[in-house]
Amino acid sequence: MDNPPCIECGLCREVCPIFEVLRREHISPRGLAILAEEGIASPVFYQCTLCRACRTLCPVDHDPDGERLRARLVARGVETEANREMIANIRQHGNPFGPLEEGEIPKRLTCC
Amino acid sequence: MNLQPLCSVLGEQRVSTSIEDRLVYARDASRMRGECLAVVWPSSPEQVAFLVEWARQEAVDLVPRGAGTGLCGGAVPQRSVVVDLSHLNAIKSVEPEGKLVHVEAGVVLGTLNRRLEPAGLFLPVIPGSHRAAAIGGLIATDAAGLRAVRYGLMGNWVQSVTLVDGSGQVRHLSGKALGDVVGREGVTGFILEAILRLAPRPRERTVTIMAFDDEAALLAQRDRWLAEPALTALEYLNRHAAALIGWEPRHHLLAEFDSDQGEIEDPGQVRDLWRDRDGLYPQLARCGHPVIEDPQLSGPGLAELLRWLDQHAIPAFGHLGLGIVHPCFAFDDGRIETLYESVAAWGGRVSGEHGIGLKKRAWVDERHREEIRRLKQIYDPHDIINRGKLS
Ligand SMILES: Cc1cc2nc3c(=O)[nH]c(=O)nc-3n(C[C@H](O)[C@H](O)[C@H](O)COP(=O)(O)OP(=O)(O)OC[C@H]3O[C@@H](n4cnc5c(N)ncnc54)[C@H](O)[C@@H]3O)c2cc1C
Ligand code: SF4
Ligand code: SF4
Repeated sequence: MDNPPCIECGLCREVCPIFEVLRREHISPRGLAILAEEGIASPVFYQCTLCRACRTLCPVDHDPDGERLRARLVARGVETEANREMIANIRQHGNPFGPLEEGEIPKRLTCC
Repeated sequence: MNLQPLCSVLGEQRVSTSIEDRLVYARDASRMRGECLAVVWPSSPEQVAFLVEWARQEAVDLVPRGAGTGLCGGAVPQRSVVVDLSHLNAIKSVEPEGKLVHVEAGVVLGTLNRRLEPAGLFLPVIPGSHRAAAIGGLIATDAAGLRAVRYGLMGNWVQSVTLVDGSGQVRHLSGKALGDVVGREGVTGFILEAILRLAPRPRERTVTIMAFDDEAALLAQRDRWLAEPALTALEYLNRHAAALIGWEPRHHLLAEFDSDQGEIEDPGQVRDLWRDRDGLYPQLARCGHPVIEDPQLSGPGLAELLRWLDQHAIPAFGHLGLGIVHPCFAFDDGRIETLYESVAAWGGRVSGEHGIGLKKRAWVDERHREEIRRLKQIYDPHDIINRGKLS
């Protein structure tokens, strides 16, 4: 589906939950769009929660498309340690937490 | 450039030369691109004063940045260190009786107005970017916006400002001295705090939209509405812009009143209408017209401008109550130059609200340049803040 390019107005900064906490432009939806446009594959992409709050507000309907940005990273072998561990656990143990006894509650949560 | 002293005072996390930061901070909403050497996020006036001293020793230019929604490249660095003030975002106190609020420069206007809602108050300067723009940026550009026809520009609402100037001195400015900061686009120093006056929030808002086939009829209606005491906004959209956003391809006027005299009374409908209005420039940018201008004219000059835009099929909208018009162009459209030559000939101003920044320096007259040189001597004699902007 067509994804209209970000026109860098910055209107969406305040709805992004990650920007709200970090207040750094590179993690704002506009920042992600600029990095993507510049062909940068940055681990910053893992910080986007894929919530799409920005898209609801964006006047041009730009989608940061975090899945595609992450796929780009994976293709270049850039992964977070937590992500690698989670996927290995799913492959090996059928769950993201690692070996678990019947009824055991995971002691450590892995996510990206 | 030795960043070590900054890392020691601001903390490693608040100083960056990463490629990601240098790329995204090299531009603002104007889409102009510059060169960013590093980005810093200070969190106190003392840190900003330290930064200024460091920049003087390093002979490096500092660029104050609010939300980066500016449309004339004011926050675009030119081999500079960008100072992002968005961590200075405390609403320090609200005085409902005195209708005053004390804020730090990085507070976002939309956040402030949401916070003031229970007290029945608001800061009535509402640019199309109100959800994102920061108080420091609004003061620095003397922003206007949708309700300026009633409430005036940002400067009308500033009681006092705390500034760190280019010598690292903390200054508390009020009264006439505010003129050295308001609308000066950061060339005189970093605005860190402000005490702002507030207005009572109107109990109702109603809107009337009218469509016209020629500019003369539209301007006659504008004059009638300008005489209405309940008028709070008077916005315009020409037929080329209307066609691009899917409206009937005619010239439109939108008038808002804080009384029941408008035809659209449903608060939800009024809210949606203004939300669409906020998205107007982004919509036109999406349709291939990302370069937005902001000449301001009155009387016959304004009529000339509207006719010229129509004849050249240039999509435009604006705060017609104030004579501020936003023609939108494709990148490198040669007609932008003709526009500004004509604006000068028609007796208008090259910027009604966005400022000069980097984009409109060529159109600044010698008197204005002289004024900036005078202010620089007083506030920033080493020329380390927003070097080369505005002149
Ligand atoms: C969709 C859209 C609609 C807009 N509508 C309007 C409108 O209706 N009316 C209007 O007037 N403008 C409008 N603008 C332009 C812009 O939002 C305003 O100019 C706004 O005031 C900029 O605020 P900012 O915090 O983003 O500042 P920035 O873009 O970060 O900076 C703007 C200038 O101020 C300086 N500056 C920023 N913070 C400080 C500080 N703390 N101390 C000293 N200098 C500082 C910068 O160096 C720069 O020169 C619009 C922009 C967009 C994208
Ligand atoms: S994602 Fe949309 S709202 Fe955000 S900066 Fe880009 S165009 Fe503007
Ligand atoms: S989708 Fe990503 S960029 Fe958009 S608001 Fe959510 S976290 Fe922010």
